[in-house]
Amino acid sequence: MGSCGAQVVDLTSQDQQARVEQPPEQRPPRGRMAARRAAGELEAEVLAALWAADGPLTTAHVRRAVGGDLAYNTVQTILVRLYDKGLIDRVAEGRRHEYFPVKGAEELAAEQMQALLSRGRDRQAVLQRFATSLSVEDARMLRAILRRRS
Amino acid sequence: MTISVYLPAALSLLLAAISRIVVARIAPTRAVVFVIAAMLCAAAATWGLVLLAATLLGDTTLVADEALERGVQLQDPVPTLIGVTAMIALIFGIVRVARVLTVRRAMNRELRAVCGACGGGELAVVSLDAPHAFAVPGRPGRILVTRGMLTALDGDERRVVLAHERAHLQGRHHRLRAAAEVCAALNPMLIPVREAVAYLVERSADEHAATVTGSRALVARALAKAALAGGSSNRMPAWPAASMALRFTGCGVSARVAALRCDPPRPEPLVPSSVLALGVATTIAAVQATIAFYQLIYWLWPN
Repeated sequence: MGSCGAQVVDLTSQDQQARVEQPPEQRPPRGRMAARRAAGELEAEVLAALWAADGPLTTAHVRRAVGGDLAYNTVQTILVRLYDKGLIDRVAEGRRHEYFPVKGAEELAAEQMQALLSRGRDRQAVLQRFATSLSVEDARMLRAILRRRS
Repeated sequence: MTISVYLPAALSLLLAAISRIVVARIAPTRAVVFVIAAMLCAAAATWGLVLLAATLLGDTTLVADEALERGVQLQDPVPTLIGVTAMIALIFGIVRVARVLTVRRAMNRELRAVCGACGGGELAVVSLDAPHAFAVPGRPGRILVTRGMLTALDGDERRVVLAHERAHLQGRHHRLRAAAEVCAALNPMLIPVREAVAYLVERSADEHAATVTGSRALVARALAKAALAGGSSNRMPAWPAASMALRFTGCGVSARVAALRCDPPRPEPLVPSSVLALGVATTIAAVQATIAFYQLIYWLWPN
């Protein structure tokens, strides 16, 4: 995360503009593409951290869960932005807020996904998977690698 | 008819045979070279089938009568059996291509439906325990992950998954894979090439994620963890064909992890060019076959 400092400055200074951003479907002009994309990437990371958590998280907890070396203000900005977009919700916990992901049509999505994953072979082949099948010896090898690392 | 009509098929077999060696030596970002070579091979082989099937015309009464009228001796350039076989292979190929395309479209539509049910934003999360992550192409492209994937990884590793899937979307990898699938559908000899492209595309996304996160070891760890978290749900013993194809090109997760633990791949410019040369050779063979066929039917339309 060498470019992190630049992102922090960018995000906080653009905070006011961020509220009136054009919808994501519209392509932003080229020059600002890089900064915008970086912000989008951080949004996905924060959202992923909230989904991975067992319960609502404070900003400080989110910052720890995301990892890397994000500034507190950056995390706060992104949380506010996600909240404005309706992707996360928050509860007041004392003087602070705790954030949690808004689970859209959760049951429907899970059902559809389940159906999709149980399709036949030729349909499965189309899916671009992050991690695919493991043989027994592969699993053993990977476990050995992980053990060596930690 | 000359031997050139059969050459594309032979060269396709050669391309498939060397794909395993090439995959180990080619830079992952050069998957497109494989796709181009496969497309040339598939096109040439299919055209060869068309020419072979067209020789059946010599057996039709229309052509036979015409020949009789002009006093031309009709010789069968290829045995009728080969012509019929080519015709059947051609029809099967077209049916398979249609199926590949409909399945692709249907799966993408379903993935987008799941994303839609999850709400807006780039990242769509489904509350399922099985760890999965997909790049869903479209405008805009989206990343679909299950909660199981997110909980299996820590913050840095989650960044790897996101960077990996973004690499698929930005590199339009689905198009490369679709093209390779169509080639393999037209010409089943190219199935190993399809697998090679699928593997290279994953490798390319892995390397991209390593550049973004700054650590190849981190990517290897995320990959290993995600694969292991899948447990039995990620194994596919029910589909021996799939696992056989995977084993053939050695393109499982473990190969990707192993590649990440070695030094970054060094580009070898000779490898992509030789793959391309193979594709060009099939094209030349196809042209030759066409000329031979034209000479064969020249008497029909002398002007």
